[in-house]
Amino acid sequence: MIDPVFRNSLRECIFLLLLWLACCLYTVTYCYLAGYLVHEPHPAATGPSLGKLVGPLTAFDRHPQSLTTPLGLGVPDWVFYGVMTPWVAAVVVTILFCLYFFVEDDLSLSSAERDAPGTIHD
Amino acid sequence: MTETSPATTITFIAYIACVFVLAALSHRLLATKSFLGEYFLGSRGLGSWALAFTFAATAASGGSFTGFPSLIYSYGWVLAFWIASYMVAGVCSMGVMGKRLNQVARKTGAITIPDVLRDRYDSTALGLFATSTIIFFTVCNLIAQFKAGALIIEETFNLPADWGYSAGLIIFAVTVIFYTAYGGFRAVVWTDVLQGVVMVLGITLLLPVIIRQGGGMESINRKLRERPPTLVTSVPGSYNDLVIQARGPLDTAGLLYRHPRRANAPLQIRWDAEAGAENRFIEVFLATDGEGRTTSTGNDVKRAIEHHPRLGPRFRVSFPYDNNEVATDRFGHRTELGATGVIGLDSDRSAERFVFLHGDEALFGPGRSHRGAPFHPLGMAISFFFMWAITGMGQPGTMLRLMAFKDSRTLKRAILTVTGFYSMVYLPLVFIFVTARVLIPELNAENSDKAMVLVTTRVVGDMGLAYQILGAVLVAAPFAAVMSTVDSFLLMISSGLVRDIYQRTINPRVSDRTVKRASYATTVIVGMVVTLLATRPPDFLQRIIVFTGSGFAATFLCPVMLGLYWKGMTRQGALSAMVGGFTVMVGFFLPTLFGGSRIDLLGLHPNLWGLFVSFGLGFLVSKGTGPAPTHLVERYFYKSSSPQRSLSTEDGGQSRVDGSA
Repeated sequence: MIDPVFRNSLRECIFLLLLWLACCLYTVTYCYLAGYLVHEPHPAATGPSLGKLVGPLTAFDRHPQSLTTPLGLGVPDWVFYGVMTPWVAAVVVTILFCLYFFVEDDLSLSSAERDAPGTIHD
Repeated sequence: MTETSPATTITFIAYIACVFVLAALSHRLLATKSFLGEYFLGSRGLGSWALAFTFAATAASGGSFTGFPSLIYSYGWVLAFWIASYMVAGVCSMGVMGKRLNQVARKTGAITIPDVLRDRYDSTALGLFATSTIIFFTVCNLIAQFKAGALIIEETFNLPADWGYSAGLIIFAVTVIFYTAYGGFRAVVWTDVLQGVVMVLGITLLLPVIIRQGGGMESINRKLRERPPTLVTSVPGSYNDLVIQARGPLDTAGLLYRHPRRANAPLQIRWDAEAGAENRFIEVFLATDGEGRTTSTGNDVKRAIEHHPRLGPRFRVSFPYDNNEVATDRFGHRTELGATGVIGLDSDRSAERFVFLHGDEALFGPGRSHRGAPFHPLGMAISFFFMWAITGMGQPGTMLRLMAFKDSRTLKRAILTVTGFYSMVYLPLVFIFVTARVLIPELNAENSDKAMVLVTTRVVGDMGLAYQILGAVLVAAPFAAVMSTVDSFLLMISSGLVRDIYQRTINPRVSDRTVKRASYATTVIVGMVVTLLATRPPDFLQRIIVFTGSGFAATFLCPVMLGLYWKGMTRQGALSAMVGGFTVMVGFFLPTLFGGSRIDLLGLHPNLWGLFVSFGLGFLVSKGTGPAPTHLVERYFYKSSSPQRSLSTEDGGQSRVDGSA
């Protein structure tokens, strides 16, 4: 029988990696496009840089005077929407994950596993 | 510069005393339990709070409280983006592997990560390579952490520049080595809880105080924006750096220090009025002696610029914080001597280049260094989102903690606590040090690692007695962060040497008494060696911490993760993944040892390439050498109903099963 701890852990692992991917795609895309004064390629890159590969993005260069601070918090708009908002969302998803998705598996060893050769009991 | 308040001193000493008391209590407990399991893993009995705080405090190192603040101070709001993956770092680094790693470690009785690898793949070579790698990266990291600890003590107690660092290093080393060696893992965990509480408390109290001191975030942003274009030089050596600020509209890109390439040359300044503003530099040809060595000091350059008919009215020249040498005569009179240090420049180096930074640059990405390089271009943005959440999973120090909790419920509660901890520490730090940029004077690159301590001791301490007490508590936060990482790493090295190399490879029949003595002695000796290495530490702690963190992940994440979740992972695949990841990381960083730059292929951090190569090799080599031995697959992926089913060792592990997950 497949170990239930393995099965449940794998399911949780996939969920969390997808959560990370969603946060990565949103935050990197939003902050890079909305929060940079200049979109120049990495000068120290060895070979062509990723900045060059994605093409010229100068249309997204921010003008310093365009900066706003939503809700009067004094946080630059691109930080507020690109970092703080997804951060709050990620915390909410984490709470839901722990409450409803995470399985409280029994990690103690069965007698068979305890008696198995090769197990070192510290 | 203000003197250290008695409140700071008393609180600091009280904090150290608490740490020693915890070590003594832990040592008493140690006497009642199995030595190795208790000394290196706390007998696998950590509760939610202990797990959460030891996990978070170990991850929040000297980098979090010295290197990270230094970067925020230097580059501004873009550091919120740089640290953004901490939004999922807690849940990912604990939740992805925690439960499964704990289960596998229980099955074999493993108490170190090399133990897990050795047993999971049934390979001594893998265990030894893992131990060697841990020692290599951990020693590199510890040098940076010891520097951070020494700097905190030096700056907190305002020790003189000539011996303050050495004294700070000795005090730090003696404290941390003693309580770690004496108390073992349990002492480390208990002090981590204390240190974690101090960190959260410190940041939570500091945040409103510092923002109010800055006049509110709107006002802070406005002050940042209105700062005149500023250039800060950073040349090796003491008392030779300058701060140059434009008095009006800027029509100059920066400053170039040049060697005149001849002996006995006078100091000369060239400024091409005809060149375009983007290419116009203040060119300073330094004076040389008869042997061609540069002799100009920071003061010489300051005077030359101030007396230059065109530059004098355009620029104001001053000294970075702590770079104005002060002499005290026998009557106690203090005289400011300024930048008396020589600007050393070899004739074979064409120039040292520094650029002016505008105030607006602190409010947006990508951030620029004083040498003009963008701080956080696209490739780095992607790489650093991997860095904290994904790379964080592959740290042996934090993985070890996932082997030590007592049940799944403990892990679940700890995930929630760590998520809260990271949210309460990392984003507030960005707010605090963006504010610090307008509250404390210019710091050069060498001194920017002191930003945290300057905020807690100088800015807050200057606000009156009540704030001095608060400042005293706050000073302990960065110190706690450094100690909590160092103690864990010290134990990790000694467990590697005692458990993985000596007990499991050289002498499996070693007595408990010998193991005990070897464990104490190894922890002390490793601490002393690192102290010696830290007497001449490198600049910019965060770079070393990023190197070692990336190295750990590139080496360990693939073999551990695929070993836990993929039945087809073979020992050859695991070894290839480890060697490949390690080689890429070290290879890409190697040029920095010879004064060159790190290799950022396609503009991506080596961290990403290390992980890519490691996972690629792990998968391909396992496919080529699989399937994995039956007895290992059955043992780690199936629920055994009897001892006979759990192990098919009679055939010597020759029978195999298909390696699909």
